[in-house]
Amino acid sequence: MLRRTLLLGLCRGPLGRGLGTHRGGSILGKVEGRGGYRGSWMAPSSSSVTFRTQDPAHDVKTVGRLGGGDRDGKMSEIKKKIQSILPGGDWNPLYDTSHLPPESSDVVIVGGGVLGLSVAYWLKKLEKPRGAIRVLVVERDHTYSRASTVLSVGGIRQQFSVPENVQLSLFSIDFLRNINEYLAVADDPPLDIQFNPSGYLLLASEKGAAIMENNVKVQRQEGAKVCLMSPEQLRNKFPWINTEGVALASYGMEHEGWFDPWCLLQGLRRKVQSMGVLFCHGEVTRFMSSSNLMKTASGEEVNLKRIHEVHVKIDQSLEYQPVECAIVINAAGAWSGQVAELAGIGKGPPGTLQGTKLPVELRKRYVYLWHCPQGPGLETPFVIDPSGTYFRREGLGHNYLGGCSPTEEEEPDPGNLEVDHDFFQDRVWPPLAQRVPAFETLKVRSAWAGYYDYNTFDQNGVVGPHPLVINMYFATGFSGHGLQQAPAVGRAVAEMVLEGHFQTINLSSFLFSRFYSGEKVQEHNII
Amino acid sequence: MLKIIIPTAMLMPMTWLSKPSMIWINSTTYSFLISLVSLSYLNQLGDNSLNLSLLFFSDSLSAPLLVLTTWLLPLMLMASQSHLSKETLARKKLYITMLIILQLLLIMTFTATELIMFYILFEATLIPTLIIITRWGNQTERLNAGLYFLFYTLVGSLPLLVALLYIQNTTGTLNFLIIQYWAKPISATWSNIFLWLACMMAFMVKMPLYGLHLWLPKAHVEAPIAGSMVLAAVLLKLGGYGMMRITILLNPTTNQMAYPFMMLSLWGMIMTSSICLRQTDLKSLIAYSSVSHMALVIVAVLIQTPWSYMGATALMIAHGLTSSVLFCLANSNYERIHSRTMILARGLQTILPLMAAWWLLASLANLALPPTINLIAELFVVVASFSWSNMTITLMGTNIIITALYTLYMLITTQRGKYTHHIKNINPSFTRENALMTLHLLPLFLLSLNPKIVLGPIY
Repeated sequence: MLRRTLLLGLCRGPLGRGLGTHRGGSILGKVEGRGGYRGSWMAPSSSSVTFRTQDPAHDVKTVGRLGGGDRDGKMSEIKKKIQSILPGGDWNPLYDTSHLPPESSDVVIVGGGVLGLSVAYWLKKLEKPRGAIRVLVVERDHTYSRASTVLSVGGIRQQFSVPENVQLSLFSIDFLRNINEYLAVADDPPLDIQFNPSGYLLLASEKGAAIMENNVKVQRQEGAKVCLMSPEQLRNKFPWINTEGVALASYGMEHEGWFDPWCLLQGLRRKVQSMGVLFCHGEVTRFMSSSNLMKTASGEEVNLKRIHEVHVKIDQSLEYQPVECAIVINAAGAWSGQVAELAGIGKGPPGTLQGTKLPVELRKRYVYLWHCPQGPGLETPFVIDPSGTYFRREGLGHNYLGGCSPTEEEEPDPGNLEVDHDFFQDRVWPPLAQRVPAFETLKVRSAWAGYYDYNTFDQNGVVGPHPLVINMYFATGFSGHGLQQAPAVGRAVAEMVLEGHFQTINLSSFLFSRFYSGEKVQEHNII
Repeated sequence: MLKIIIPTAMLMPMTWLSKPSMIWINSTTYSFLISLVSLSYLNQLGDNSLNLSLLFFSDSLSAPLLVLTTWLLPLMLMASQSHLSKETLARKKLYITMLIILQLLLIMTFTATELIMFYILFEATLIPTLIIITRWGNQTERLNAGLYFLFYTLVGSLPLLVALLYIQNTTGTLNFLIIQYWAKPISATWSNIFLWLACMMAFMVKMPLYGLHLWLPKAHVEAPIAGSMVLAAVLLKLGGYGMMRITILLNPTTNQMAYPFMMLSLWGMIMTSSICLRQTDLKSLIAYSSVSHMALVIVAVLIQTPWSYMGATALMIAHGLTSSVLFCLANSNYERIHSRTMILARGLQTILPLMAAWWLLASLANLALPPTINLIAELFVVVASFSWSNMTITLMGTNIIITALYTLYMLITTQRGKYTHHIKNINPSFTRENALMTLHLLPLFLLSLNPKIVLGPIY
């Protein structure tokens, strides 16, 4: 009888029983209460009703009503409710906000790919008092179905022409080699990123040979272990190569190869969550900013803006949460340009600093997986042809991954991730077959497409704060080599945020202001 | 007393009937005038009290607290202008009304003669504070904070009601002026021990005592600026004031019963100061420093010597002003950067030099620099506790050092060093903010010229 009185007293009564159960979406963070809802003290996260759509990513409380009969279930609900109300629980009598991001966060990282997570990791690792900074990572696509990170081929090389790129990759490979020291989480299994240290082989024709020699000199200066090979040495080492048209080749002997980007992403995600970073599955729709008119030292007036609120819209819902923040980090990858436009970057007369947009765009790139039983063996490096075609070994069953960057004219439409198989037939296969005669007979097993966060200015990353929107930091625009440099770039951005200047690797040539001043940091070895 | 109470009560209709452009100006100016009127109560007749009516009186203990309360209202209004600017007009007026009601209740609390009336008003002050914290606080955790705040104080003070009713029955009166002469010494029987506990626990929770202090950091961090100011400056002093009044009835049991609370306070003083060294949230640091200073007041009140009472009274006033100005400074930081984390806003001295001057003065006052009244108060308490037991000097000395450490840590982290890139465009200091800091610091430093006003009835 006590139970019955409890049930009658604590349950909603006849008002709540007959009405509908499942409600999708809510408006503006508020829940449309019905009837006696608002007045009662029950937490809305009771099992009788939920207010958001089915989303497997959330641990949503159970949907659906229990009807009148389930006494034991109701008792345990009541006990749960009482427990959540007692001090210490996060009971909110107004409305349930457990699915929303917090109302304020010190740093909001837009984009939860490898660059965003790397920045989050280094921010939490480098902060002086532990637990000082609250970080929120906002990721729109929780399955990472269109993220560049997981669709990447996963190579890492030090063979760049810009010295900073070499330094970035060197640190990143050190990070990856010691990944279980950096990303260890108690009680979780160690990570296996399946690093294949097979090296990169860049081939150069007559025209490019001099540039290649210069590049190798720069790389050696920075500490990369690269060797130059003549066509004969090439034939000796790799008998399956056809060295016609190749004048020089550079082969990375150590610290180069490929790894599993999904494993790195998950490892970072796990570690970063253990360090206290909050994740939000939502989309940034708006930045609220305030601006101040200030004078520079030379007397000219500039309008400096700071973003003080980020509106995060919950997926498949009209609800949004304004998150008060001190710093915003734009690590949205291929969509960084759109995020920058939200912040007002590029809205101004062209040719001025206000009118300089962030030149990062979506570019679609195809990757094809084929099977060739007579193909090159286990020591096949990541080969990059002078024509721009590349391939690497995948696994142990004579499978190969490869592709080619299209020229400006034949850029595919980045609206979707559909694969164009004719591209393989026309643009990828002929140079491949010419370079590796064994590839004349191959069978394409599968293919996929992914986006490059392509920096149309100079194909190198943008790192550091924006000169006018002073609390937006960039970590994007790496045009296909972002994954391999992610750990180092994350550290650089974290240093910039915490200390105010780059401490370990000086990336001041990668700042945003180069788009205005026109100083290109052109990277020649882009695939 | 009515000359303060009626104008304060009339501030409410004035707020509601003012033109929208005038609500802040009207309320600030008139509350300032009321505080100037209350200054007249500082003219106390030596050892005796100023008996204004059957219900209200003021003596040298309650007069400075009364002046502090009334002085704080215009300051709270000035501090709240910025964060309320985006609210609707009705909400703004409601907020100001809450502050005025709180003010009214506090004025009556500090000047109540009858202890039951004191109790009722003591409890009543919880309601406007709760409303301010939970409705206008910053984050969702404010509901939890409000809950902690309300229930800690309520649970602590319910026994007080029972004890007061018991004393009313046995002694026949609870009028403070009479009872100080009629109080009989109570022997140390079990029921008297419980009586002692019942009387003191409410004030211990309010102070707060170290073991019961969990509500304070939460409430301070989640409250809006005016809530933090009034909490730190006045509401904590309610506990001290109540303790000083009620210990008159509890002799000589206090001599034995005080031991556990003395231990908790002495140890808690050092613990909370050490916690301050590890805080990353600015408001949380100032909240813990409040606990540390109030622990000194608890020690002083429980020792019950003339010097310690003088120290306790002076410390309450000094801490009220210092803590309030530190919260205002932290809030001015927060309004610019939208984050309370200290390390995200560094090097402010180069960008806001005048504000850096206020930071410096407030920090120096917090670490009890001579000749501020902070020092006088702390010194009196330290000396008195040394006479109570020689060992306490080591603990007190350690606390003074750690206080200096964390205050300087806070000052240096926020003001010195190279500024971070993302604070380059913060607004320069408003006149309102500078006026706010001046109006806090001027009385504090002027009191060092004439501290006898705040040294309480024993002086």
